[in-house]
Amino acid sequence: MKKNAGVTRTMWMAIAVIVIVVIGAVIAVWYVARPQPAGLTVYSLWSGDEEANFMKVLENFTEQTGINVTHIGFSTQELLIGVPTQLKAGASLADLVIAPWPAWILDLAEDEHLVEVTDLITATKYPTGYINSVKDTAGKIWAAPFKASGKPGFWYKKSFFQDNNLEVPGTYQEFKDLLADIMQIDGIEEPIASGDTVGWPLSDTTEAFIMGLGGYQLQEDLIAGTVNWTSTEVRDVFEDLRQLLAAGYFSEPAEWQSQVAKFWDEKYGIYFMGSWITTMSQIGDVSDLDFFPFPETDGVAGSVDYCIIPKYTENLDQAKELLQYLAGAEAQETMVKLGGFLGTNVDVPDTAYGTLDKKVLDFISQTTVHIVPDLDDAVGGRFQTTFWDQLKLLWVSPTTGTLNSVLEALQEEAG
Amino acid sequence: MRHCKKKQDKTIAYGGAETKGRTITPLVFLIPAFLLVTIFVLYPVVSTVSLSLFQDSKFVGFNNYLELFGRRSFSQALIHNGLWILIHLPLSVFFGLLLAVLLRQVKGGAIIKSIIFLGMVIPLVVGGILFRFIYDTDAGVVNALLRFIGLGSIARSWTFYPDTALISLIIGTIWIWTGFSMIVYSAGLEGIPIELYEAAKIDGASRWKTFWRITVPMLRPATIVVVTMTLLWVLKVFDVVYVATFGGPGGASTVMAFEMYLDAFQAFNFGRASAIATILTLMTFGFAAYMVNRMAKS
Repeated sequence: MKKNAGVTRTMWMAIAVIVIVVIGAVIAVWYVARPQPAGLTVYSLWSGDEEANFMKVLENFTEQTGINVTHIGFSTQELLIGVPTQLKAGASLADLVIAPWPAWILDLAEDEHLVEVTDLITATKYPTGYINSVKDTAGKIWAAPFKASGKPGFWYKKSFFQDNNLEVPGTYQEFKDLLADIMQIDGIEEPIASGDTVGWPLSDTTEAFIMGLGGYQLQEDLIAGTVNWTSTEVRDVFEDLRQLLAAGYFSEPAEWQSQVAKFWDEKYGIYFMGSWITTMSQIGDVSDLDFFPFPETDGVAGSVDYCIIPKYTENLDQAKELLQYLAGAEAQETMVKLGGFLGTNVDVPDTAYGTLDKKVLDFISQTTVHIVPDLDDAVGGRFQTTFWDQLKLLWVSPTTGTLNSVLEALQEEAG
Repeated sequence: MRHCKKKQDKTIAYGGAETKGRTITPLVFLIPAFLLVTIFVLYPVVSTVSLSLFQDSKFVGFNNYLELFGRRSFSQALIHNGLWILIHLPLSVFFGLLLAVLLRQVKGGAIIKSIIFLGMVIPLVVGGILFRFIYDTDAGVVNALLRFIGLGSIARSWTFYPDTALISLIIGTIWIWTGFSMIVYSAGLEGIPIELYEAAKIDGASRWKTFWRITVPMLRPATIVVVTMTLLWVLKVFDVVYVATFGGPGGASTVMAFEMYLDAFQAFNFGRASAIATILTLMTFGFAAYMVNRMAKS
């Protein structure tokens, strides 16, 4: 009798297992085969306010075309690595990707993973430099410029400068004097905030020094690889930077957004950052914010967010439609009006810009100022992470020995 | 008796078939495992080794390996992995054994052990983020402690500096890994016959002598397990480095697995990344084979 009970229990357990497996299989099949919502998927680096602004642009697109768009924001590393990995596997979950790395885009184009956009946009509607960065040697264009971010200089709090009788510097010597003055102010930890995360805030600051002290041409030559990192002209620029670091004018690198909060709390006097700082919630009152360019600079790094279409997309026509919309003046005007960014299309009217954005636009539009690509974005690859990493080293150990080792490491990676 | 003879005859008659069946049946059961190992282990290993001999689809022989050993960052990574082994391995073994022995005799030791073992439950990615906070200048508990004991002047973000980044990570992971060695040693201690200790006591052996002459030798199998697992883990350490320092500053905390990641997914140089993977595999395989052999002998 007991044996029978055991057999019955075993039988019921077996039936239960089979039922669970069957139900699991049915659910799995349904999940895989369920009808997917029609529409496009866009990848970008944006989150928070930046994403919210972009979503408004996408909503306008959906209203006009009836095409639904899903946006997925990634971190720098996720996008930098995730997209090429998918493409190299011959697949893409995104129909359109927005990324600010021209070298990365050209590498993907060279490996034949992208759709050519030469005929989808009017190249003359954009600054030549923006287009040339994503044009291959055969003259084919592989990405459409969407929005741009200027990295115009050092941001400061007007009331802080006023309260402490500080003046915007016009020369490099005045800049150094300003740092010395800020250093003396009570409550100040260091004069300049240093941002960190993966390293781009330090590279942006360094590029300002390269262009400000060595000229925009030096940055272009470094991108092209025609100047060595160990050459005298590069060493001279880095030596000036090293001296400021050694004097304690820069803070220890810390998470860049938390540094914006500390900057606004007057723990630091100035912060080198892109124009997107005007949209950040840490800035209490944007009307109290202003910037000054690196003294006597003749160059400014412009970072452009480019739209690319992976050739593996299943919604090619719709993706092309979205790319054309984002590259057009209407979408860019919407984005510009939301603040923090510049349009790339020349048809975006000046009236769309807020006061600070207009000031940035006016500064970078001067004939004496050249817009050059962001150095580490333009070179890309392993050089980019090496550049970030070596700058972190220089920031925390600003000795002559470290400087030599940093420049040698950069040359080794660039060479 | 007649019955037995009949059975014996039957065995003789079918002996060959039975032996054959005994050989084939286990093999049949091994097929699924063999297939899985072939598809998910052997094939990737062979592919990786083969890929390490190519660069952009061109056969380059051992060039990727030669290039690696000529690179400063890889030499740095090799040295750092060596330092992980030299520092992390003895300390985590020592603390694991110490805690296992001490907590065995303490009331509520099991609860304390569970708390210490919690470190092992933390994913290393989370561990890496924790380390960034723990070592942070303003928010970090390490610097708070230093300030409390009057050493505030040396407070800084320990993972940011080249001279302290690597050692900070190693110390942090010792905290995480000690829970593992403590648990293995605790299980080992339970397996030592009590009679041995009683005999030693009767013979008048001191506690120190008993520890060295009975406990340590009897824990040899546990030690081999701890050393093997720790070595393998240390050789392939990646996640905590990626999250806490990204190998920096200036490559000060880079390790081989991180270099492999950079080559594969930053430079998209799969040939060179495969060469690192092959070197790592050979090293871990060599260590594992040696330790397993010792374990079998012991």
